[in-house]
Amino acid sequence: MGQAMGTASGQAPVTAVLIDEAALTLEELARACAVDHDWVVQRVRTGILMECASDDSVSWRFTSADLVRARRLCQIERDFEANDDVAALVVDLSEEIYRLRRKLSAAGVK
Amino acid sequence: MEYKDYYQTLGVSKTASEDEIKKAYRKLVRKYHPDVSKEPDAQKKTQELNEAYGVLGDAEKRAAYDDLGRGRQFRAGQEFRPPPDWGRGFGGAGGQPGPGGFGDGDSSDFFADLFANLGGRRRQQYTPQRGDDSHATITIDLADAFHGATRNISLMVADRDAQDRIVTRERTLSVNIPKGVTAGQQLRLSGQGQRGEAGPGDLYLEIQFRPDPRYRVDGRDVFETVPVTPWELALGADIDVTTPSGKVTVSVPAGSQTGRKLRLRGRGIPGKEAGDLYLLLEVALPPANTDKARELYRTMAREMAFNPRAGG
Repeated sequence: MGQAMGTASGQAPVTAVLIDEAALTLEELARACAVDHDWVVQRVRTGILMECASDDSVSWRFTSADLVRARRLCQIERDFEANDDVAALVVDLSEEIYRLRRKLSAAGVK
Repeated sequence: MEYKDYYQTLGVSKTASEDEIKKAYRKLVRKYHPDVSKEPDAQKKTQELNEAYGVLGDAEKRAAYDDLGRGRQFRAGQEFRPPPDWGRGFGGAGGQPGPGGFGDGDSSDFFADLFANLGGRRRQQYTPQRGDDSHATITIDLADAFHGATRNISLMVADRDAQDRIVTRERTLSVNIPKGVTAGQQLRLSGQGQRGEAGPGDLYLEIQFRPDPRYRVDGRDVFETVPVTPWELALGADIDVTTPSGKVTVSVPAGSQTGRKLRLRGRGIPGKEAGDLYLLLEVALPPANTDKARELYRTMAREMAFNPRAGG
């Protein structure tokens, strides 16, 4: 899907909710990633998604970072038919690359 | 719509085996993966590869696609209409239309037109489905994160016209950007995703900051390079600095060196734990382009006996 942005028009704005203020439930995360509920549960139970999850999946709440990570995991698993551990390793490494790039940029290194 | 040559996209022949197609796809999708590729069109290329592999990697869809081109020599980009009976025998033409989901917005018109219904019609028992959630990015100025804003976003969405044909149309939404957002955070717009018979899905927007040569951002912390004169560094001064939240007056301590970092606590992106603003002082030398300026430099050279390489 493309992206564009202009200035505000006279149209009534759609209310956007910041996910970190109204974090996603298990069902909402699964739907946002177009995966089964079990796909998410399995990755939480094995520690791939969401740190420090309780046993009760009803109380789980997922943040923006969890959603981005879950979508990356899906993409790696699908593109390369990777198993969940390998996909997690790839995503861990790419998150580390993003973190280092941000540090470099903050330090003024291009 | 334009005909898409999926074999050309994957760089394989029309007689390629399943393994050859998979191998070609894997190689290219790794090359263009947005996380690692430095190619400017990596995202678009990955979408095209996924679309091509979505068809050629599925025996049924590949057979239907091959049937489409049989006896006709379509070239990539050529104007194209599928024959009215196309799809018969590949999951069944006719029947009730599937739910209104047309992929996640990443597929071309060509793909949406040919294959969305093929999957939908295959269902034995039809149950109304909620529309899929959609994902997009929204690019905002850093200042928007400090003050909040309302911004427009244009999205290309697939829809059905009155004759139940798939069409692409532009949809513009006006979105409120809450104060305190950071890059990578997701905004959820309830009911603004793809349409479905059991209701629309949601739209998720990922926040991106428009690059601004003045600022660099890491989480909620903002970094800004501030040019200062040699005498402001040496003698200390109160200087006015334009920051994303407006003008502030900052005290430069006497005896500062170029590269000194000043931290303005809580002046980064606002939030429960507001970020900090870091000002990196960078000396700017006045040009020696007049007799007077050259004389001043010569006086400094004479009087100060300063050698920054002493001991080096």
